[in-house]
Parts: sequence; structure tokens; C-alpha cells
Amino acid sequence: MLRRCWLGAAFAVAFSAETYAETVNILMETVPDTEYVKTLLPEFKQATGIDVNLEVVNYAEMHTKLVPQLVAPKGSYSAIVVDFYWVGEFTKAGWLQPLDERIKADNIDTSVYVPKLMELVGTVDGVTYMLPFYNYAMGLLYRKDLLADEKNQADFKAKYGIDLGPPKTWDEYLKQVEFFTRDDMHGVVNQGLRPDPIAMEWSNYLFANGGDYHDGNWTPTLNTEAGVKAVEQYATNVNKYGPVGSASFSFDEAFNVMAQGKAYSYITYNFFRAAVDDPAKSAVVGKVEIMPVPGPTPEQGGSLNGAWGWAIPKSSPNPDAAWTFLKWVESKDIAKKRALQGGSPTRTDVFDDPDVNAKYPHAQALKQMLLTSHNFPVFTYTPQLVEVLGRELSLAVAGEKKPADALMTIDAEMLELAKKDGKIK
Amino acid sequence: MKRFTRLILPHVVLVVFSLAILMPLLWILRVSFTDKLTAYKIPPELGTLGLMNYYDIFARYPFVTWFTNSLFIALAATAVSLPLATALAYAFARFDTGGIALRLGVLASQMLPPIILVLPLFGMFLIAGLMQSRMALVISHLTIALPFLSWMLISFFEGDVARLEEAARVDGATRWQAFRYIAVPVAGPGILAAGLLGFILSWNEFLFALVLSGPNTQTLPVGLAGLETHAGVEIAPLAAATVVSLLPVFVLLPLLRKHLIKGLSLGALK
Repeated sequence: MLRRCWLGAAFAVAFSAETYAETVNILMETVPDTEYVKTLLPEFKQATGIDVNLEVVNYAEMHTKLVPQLVAPKGSYSAIVVDFYWVGEFTKAGWLQPLDERIKADNIDTSVYVPKLMELVGTVDGVTYMLPFYNYAMGLLYRKDLLADEKNQADFKAKYGIDLGPPKTWDEYLKQVEFFTRDDMHGVVNQGLRPDPIAMEWSNYLFANGGDYHDGNWTPTLNTEAGVKAVEQYATNVNKYGPVGSASFSFDEAFNVMAQGKAYSYITYNFFRAAVDDPAKSAVVGKVEIMPVPGPTPEQGGSLNGAWGWAIPKSSPNPDAAWTFLKWVESKDIAKKRALQGGSPTRTDVFDDPDVNAKYPHAQALKQMLLTSHNFPVFTYTPQLVEVLGRELSLAVAGEKKPADALMTIDAEMLELAKKDGKIK
Repeated sequence: MKRFTRLILPHVVLVVFSLAILMPLLWILRVSFTDKLTAYKIPPELGTLGLMNYYDIFARYPFVTWFTNSLFIALAATAVSLPLATALAYAFARFDTGGIALRLGVLASQMLPPIILVLPLFGMFLIAGLMQSRMALVISHLTIALPFLSWMLISFFEGDVARLEEAARVDGATRWQAFRYIAVPVAGPGILAAGLLGFILSWNEFLFALVLSGPNTQTLPVGLAGLETHAGVEIAPLAAATVVSLLPVFVLLPLLRKHLIKGLSLGALK
């Protein structure tokens, strides 16, 4: 009898559902900052008495897991993190709580955030739905040791008539790509896999040529001289100056080429800057630096922005506790502690902090990258636009479609999506 | 020449095909003892070998939670589904219960894409307060295991087993006794194989576990997928975690193989 009781008790414990009393449940992706937040959670518990459960899942599966929770009247997650891909969809569906009243009541100063990030993962049509959590703007990783080499400097000057150094313009960068392509070295490595990797990377080429996705009225503007040049340059870099197979590389494969010392440059997410100095992942420790993707002129940048924002879903079982957590995790003190661990800040005051600059001398380059960066179109159909871009750009890179034809198709499909979303009447 | 074609050539072909199957596993084993830098080196290098990744998966990731959740859920789902599937298969085989319509009805749920099935389950578990519990995962895995296992077991109860049962009935056995002492032992190897399949189905299941689990109830497939991060695949810890997650199969297989062979060779119809 006693054995049966023990067995029953064991099953009851094993099968019991979780409780949510004064526990903030958050669904997050496996980004580096997630780990840094995790290390600081004991401080939050000590300050507020609230427990935090971080559930971490793979990005590719996150949307699948999130949507049923968001449509439910009362879900399991107190707070969530939202990729800029989903901002249009989630806000239009009415799944996120507006934060303006809470921000006003607690005197939260959102002007400390990089303005481009607030536009991307903060406000939508004047309403604040998120606080920017983590940026993944793209920058140019380049081999500073190769630029400092005297023979390279002399050869480059002789060939192009200009000094060799961190490129000030996009044209200068393209010359360096050509120059550093040798028997044992590629001038560039690209992430040409469709749809997301190629769409995100190519966006930098578009902005670097002075192009943009649409005008102020949301009319697509890709099939222009800048757009065509961006596709041609991308195809040349993949097919002529990059390693074999880069048309199907995702960022992981491309990063590994760079980390193995086989490429001069790689346009990628800025958090890879820390990874190239990790001896367990990189053979080029201390030899790589990051800078904003150069633009058509030295004053203009070509970097694509990217970010995640904290949000409280309408289905949150305890929105007040979630807001307490958001205030804490986005406070200057905690944001700085995350940055000191290697995180990707979103607040300008963290970028300007002396301790952060002392530990990470490239902090100002990252800040500059964000300030001069460009946002991807954020609307309900952002993921669909990425699919279209991936398909058409891949066809152009493979030589199966002319750049202008590919861009014309993208423009036409983007126009339809914008109309469907009500951006164009 | 004759010796070459009869002895050496088949072995060469077998070795090549074996390597095609074994090389990925050996690569995972090798990577589990090294770091990411060495893992991707071309040409491959052995590098410095160590147990750091095995330490990492236990120290940096909730691997023990993932593993115990997977083990518990797979064992529970198998334990519940196997007797039910056995009874259902017996009913189909012996009495043609529900006719072909019921048989197809049982299988129909498997013709739907899993994402269609997971949404109503999500709603039901939400109402029942079972979301993010292991109970929810066990029940959801039953929806996969039961139809497969019952269909798989039907053939083990058809054919000559029926005549053996009739003989037992003539000797005075009740229907239950005929089922318990004749049909089940004869179908034993099949039931064991079905149990193994049920365990593997649950052990590897991803979508239901993804949508229905919580931070403390994540299973191995969901946890391991999380090692494919925004900053790249954590290939070295992932390899170590994969090696450890294969352990139950390595432990179970020799045991089950012994019983399977024993069951087959001692079959009543030998």
C-alpha cells in the first residue's frame, strides 16, 4: 500500500503542470545576450523577489511556438522578445500590449536608445510596443593585419593609386576585395543561402550603393541603377572573389571561412566581432576588426540594422511583473553589465560608457554603425518579402536571371504586399 | 581472380557503404572531443582532444533536464501506448472491430500534417491547465504512437495465431486466457519491436515537444535545436550532446535484439 502511495505521489509530481505565481516566464532565442541576461537574474530575484524562467529555443522554431501562445486569451509567457521580422505582424494582429502608459508612469527615458533601433523594434505608428533589447546590425569584418602589411600597402598603391587602409567608401572596399583575392586567400566570403542570409547581406550592398527598398510612399525602388549595381557586385563577389560554395553558405559556414583565415573580409552581424577573438573558434585572433559597411561617400554608411525588442504580449498572465522585469533588464546599470560581458547594446549611454569603451575599444565603431545604419522594411509581410528577395537574388547570382529582371520581379511582388498591408492605397 | 571477386570485392563494397553510414557518426564522435575551430578545419586535423564539451553540456546547458524529460516521456508514452495498441490490434485482427472505416480512422490522424494536430491539442491543454507539463507531452505523443503501433501489430495477430487460440479455446481456455497466454507470447517479438519503435518515435519527436513544452519540460530534440544559435551552430557541445543522447539506443538495442531473436526462435510456429 505504502509503495502505491509513493508511486502515486511520484506520478503526481512528475505530471504536475507548472505554476506561474510571481514567476516571469520569457521565451527567448539563443542569442549571446540571452546568456548574459541569465547570469544577472539572481540580482533581479534579490531586488524584487520575482523568479524568472527563461525558455530558450532555436530561432527557426520560435515563431511556431509563439503564435499559439499569442492568440490564446491567456498564454504561458509573461514577456517575449520580438525579432524585427515579426514586428509588423504582431502589432497588426494586436498581440502586443502598448507600453506608453507604463513608460510615462515610470518616467522611462526612451530617448537613450539609438533612434534607428526605436524605429525598428520600439514604436509602430507612434505607439511604443517594445524596448530595444539587442542589436544585430551588420558590419564589415576585415583583416587589419593584411592592411598593415607594408608590401600589401605598396602593391595596392601601385595598382590603384590610393592608400590601403580601412575602406572609406564602398568602391574602395570593392577594390580591396579584388586585390586580396589570391591563390590562398579570398577577398570576401558571402552568405548566399536563400532566403534570409542572402537577403540580409545583399541589403548592405543596396544601401552601400545609395539605394533603398522604397520611397516615402512605400513605392518599391529596387530596380534602379543602385539596385542593379548592388546585384552585379554581389554576384561578382560570390562567383569571382569568394570561396566555392558561398552561394549556399549560411552565416555559420561563411564565418568559419573568415575564422580559418581564408578570407580578407566578411559582411556580417556585429556580434561575430567577439567570436573572431575566441581561440576556440578562430585562427585569426587579434587580426580582425569591424567597421560600418562603407557607403557611397565617407559620410554615409551602408550597414543593415537588425534587432530584437522586449514586449509584453496581451496574453501575458502577469503583465505587471513582466514590466518590472523589463524596467530592470533595460536599466542603464544592467544594460551596461550585459555589454561588459560582450553583449550588443541598444542604448547610446552604454556605448559611451567609459568602462565599456575601456574593455571594448570597438564600441564607438559599433555605435557609429548603428547611427548610420538602414532599416529593412518593417510591415506585416516582412518575412514574405525576405522570401521573394532570397528567391530572385539567388537566381541572379546563379546567372539564371538578369539583375534588372530579378529586381523588377521583387518590386512588383513587394508592391502587391505593400498594397495588401494597406501601406499603399 | 576468382578469390578477388568472391571474397575481396564484396568486402570492399561493404566497407565503402559501411563508411558512408559510419563516417558522419565518427565525425560527430571526433568533434565531441575537440573545439569548433578544429571541427571545421580543411584538411581535417585531429587537434587537441579533451572532455571539455561533455563538461560544457552539463555545466552550461540544462542537458540533464532535457535528457530526463525525454527519457520519462518516451518511457511513459511507450508504456501507455503499447498495451492499448496491442488490444486495439487484437480487436482489429480477431473481430474486425469497426471494419475498415475504423482502421482508416485510426490512421487518419497520421495523414494530417503535425502542425494541424498540435493547435487543437494546444487549445485543449490550455483549457485543462496542462500546458508545459510532461503529461501534455505524453498524451500528445500517444496520438503519434498509438495509430502506428496498432497498425504495425495487426499482422502479428492475424494468420496462424488464430488457429492456436482456437485450439486453446477447445482445451477450455477463456478468451482472455487465449489472448494472454497464446496470442501475446506469440506476438511477443512484434510487440517488443513495436515498443522500441514507440520509444524512438517519442524520443525523436520535435514539433509537439516544441509547442507544448516549457522551460522545465523541454526534451532533447528541442534543447539540442537550441544549440543552433543566432551566433552560429555550437557544433562541439552539440556533438557531445548527440553522443550522450544516443546512449539509450546503444543500451536498449543489444537487450532488445537478444529478446527479439529469442522470441522469434522460440515461436510456437517454428
